[in-house]
Amino acid sequence: MFDKVEAFYRPANVREALRLLQSGKGQARVVAGGTDVVVDGDDSVRFLIDITHAGLSYIRRRGTASVIGATTTMAELEASPQIQSLAGGLLCKAAHSCGSMPIRNLATLGGNMANGSPAADMATPLLVLDAAVVMADAKGRRRLPLAEYLGNARSNRYARSLVVEIVIPDPPRGKGCRWSFQKLGRTAVDISLVNVSAGLHLDSRGRVKWVRIALGSVAPAPMRAPGAEQRMTGRILDQALLAEIGAEVAREVSPISDARASAEYRREICSVLTRRALEECSAPAGCSL
Amino acid sequence: MFGSRGVFAMKTMELHLTVNGQSLNWSIAPGELLLDVLRRQGYFGVKRGCEKGECGACAVLVDGKPINSCLMFAAQAEGRHVLTIEGVAIDGKLDPVQEAFLDHGAVQCGFCTPGMVISAKALLDRRPDPTEDEVREALAGHLCRCTGYLKPVEAVLAAASKRKNRARRVKPLTEVSR
Repeated sequence: MFDKVEAFYRPANVREALRLLQSGKGQARVVAGGTDVVVDGDDSVRFLIDITHAGLSYIRRRGTASVIGATTTMAELEASPQIQSLAGGLLCKAAHSCGSMPIRNLATLGGNMANGSPAADMATPLLVLDAAVVMADAKGRRRLPLAEYLGNARSNRYARSLVVEIVIPDPPRGKGCRWSFQKLGRTAVDISLVNVSAGLHLDSRGRVKWVRIALGSVAPAPMRAPGAEQRMTGRILDQALLAEIGAEVAREVSPISDARASAEYRREICSVLTRRALEECSAPAGCSL
Repeated sequence: MFGSRGVFAMKTMELHLTVNGQSLNWSIAPGELLLDVLRRQGYFGVKRGCEKGECGACAVLVDGKPINSCLMFAAQAEGRHVLTIEGVAIDGKLDPVQEAFLDHGAVQCGFCTPGMVISAKALLDRRPDPTEDEVREALAGHLCRCTGYLKPVEAVLAAASKRKNRARRVKPLTEVSR
């Protein structure tokens, strides 16, 4: 494995990393935590570009947004007071589920996005938080909605670009605003069979003011469930609506059968986890459930 | 696929790192993994298991944090402090975690033991008084195929209370009387 690698680079900044990526002519691979790159074991790689020294490990506030550098590890996210207090610790909970401690000490947020897995555990919480990805390439930097990036992460559209940071605008406030991350895997440290994130803002009368539902491992890329979100808006959240939404998300997803689970099972689990997520969101708000 | 120097022209690079307190300078291939380099240098306590980051047998501490050495390129250890199981006992005296593993029968074939001890040591360094849940959580990345996890969990909890008692014994009198 990696027998053809001729050089290992440790660029000290993004510009240098991009120059190396450009001159690698498609035979260079960017690596940070290595938890996906090494397991992929791509034998054609001739140059490795380690971006963990490129100044991309940070968690900051910028205006009314939280900004997370691409090489920030899952363990760093979990330990960050800023991330713990963002959206009820939604991102901490998801980061905590990204494998064992030795994995979470290596795995990075940017890598979890750039690998483009439909099961990426950080994708659904970031989707419900309306996050954006900042990309850098030879022409400069641009900001993409996360959903757009994830839809193309496995194509070669971003082959000469680098994920630089993730931007999370401050979510709606108010005591009716709650969040949930639900994941089903074989074990506590397993990859998701299905994962669901939700954000819910109820008004004082228990009506749905704002809602986000995102599902992972049930479509070619992690996805929002716009049909279910639309059906909920403006209505009282009760058992009947929960059942309706459970059925609606099962219609919206397009899971496949593989070694881990059948498509039918995944579809069923989408309903169950979505209901659980919405129940968790609504329980402390004191609504009628 | 075939470079101008041919496919067999092995490129090498220098790696400077500290292993178990010893400053070292090795020649490595740029694509080599830390696991392979450590074993080549004789650190056979670092076990080759799944090579996918799933079994934890290859765990070492890098700058005090447990990582899977099968997932880290050796070049990424440049300038860093690596602790392998060979460096856990000091001057032939076992670490409390190692002693507890022996006392509690937490070792059977021994293949998973170095990784478990390394992760347990990192946990106790960070949290001297962990709950059982925290111990289970810290060991979750380490697969044992002999018997299971009960004995290792007991051993880590016992090591924690032993370390605590030892710390209590050396506390100054004023603090004890408070």
